[in-house]
Amino acid sequence: MSTTTNPATQESLVGMGQIVAAQPPRQMKAIVGSCIALGLHHPRLKMGVLAHIVLPDSAGRGGTPGKFADTAVPKMLEMFKQAGVPTQNLTAKLAGGANMFGGSGPLQIGDANVEAVTQALRQAGIRISAQDVGGNRGRRVTFECEEGQMIVESAGLPTKTL
Amino acid sequence: MIGIELDNAKTMEGLRELFASATHDASAAMCRWTNGIISVTLDEVRNAPLEAASEVLALGDELLTMVVIALQGELGGNLILLFDEVNGRRLAASLLGRSAPTEPEWTELEKSALMETGNILGCAYVNALSRLIDQELRPSAPYFIQDYGASVLQQAIMSQAALDDRLLICEIGFHRKGERLDWRVVFVPTPALQTAMAAALHAAS
Repeated sequence: MSTTTNPATQESLVGMGQIVAAQPPRQMKAIVGSCIALGLHHPRLKMGVLAHIVLPDSAGRGGTPGKFADTAVPKMLEMFKQAGVPTQNLTAKLAGGANMFGGSGPLQIGDANVEAVTQALRQAGIRISAQDVGGNRGRRVTFECEEGQMIVESAGLPTKTL
Repeated sequence: MIGIELDNAKTMEGLRELFASATHDASAAMCRWTNGIISVTLDEVRNAPLEAASEVLALGDELLTMVVIALQGELGGNLILLFDEVNGRRLAASLLGRSAPTEPEWTELEKSALMETGNILGCAYVNALSRLIDQELRPSAPYFIQDYGASVLQQAIMSQAALDDRLLICEIGFHRKGERLDWRVVFVPTPALQTAMAAALHAAS
């Protein structure tokens, strides 16, 4: 399934399990609850890659690499390399990992997703420069490629720029 | 897919018949609850790719009002009742015998009316599924939430997503005196419940 890009706003919607690479002026957008929007950015070459990660661990299964934290990060690095962009000096920003139905609700996967993404980035030697994770609200995330800013909107809360 | 071949046309047709029957019961319950104003119909039973779920359901990126009921246990799933803000409040007001909402924010009474609506719908589906698979299903108390529809859907589909890249989704539409409303119900059964449903359908055929 390909991503949908709005030609007027140059904005691509990144669906669950998808990874999208872009350069200015294009922006990428994802709506996340318990999922994680992970943005990697190369500041000098101004390339951004956004993954919409659904679950913490692939447990060795194949399939869509963007779906799992342990397979999404290597795939994102591969996309930088394929574009001729070195993977040193990348910055990482992430948002999501909420428990949408509160502490007593079904399936508390948000915390596990945050931990798995953090671990995968650590293994890849990538520093997290900013994050907005946890809680029990969904997030509308926009990742722009010029400065690598991640704009996070949540219902009833002020907009944050990471 | 674990234990069930949803690409099998016969299985999908069986599931459509099952959900159509359950929706008939749900519609009768909704008519009683709303004094004959609101009815529901089965729109679609889909086997959709994971990454397209939000698009397929046209959830967009706007805030919605939702009531979620979880089926607890291995034979589980999630039923999500989705409204836009205006229509959710309008329904709650009409259930309370008012022509329009009286307060700027949701009152506890309005939330309660909407949650009871979810409960009535949920029970109609749970009863139909229980009869089919001949096993008890345990619905949770309804949960009221205002957030992005896609965010809530993500949490609801986690157990399916862990096992497969495709999702079984049942969509139901609402009607007021024959006019279609922009409210929806999405039901997402767990893989174990899908397997039980498919086994029961095969045994019955």
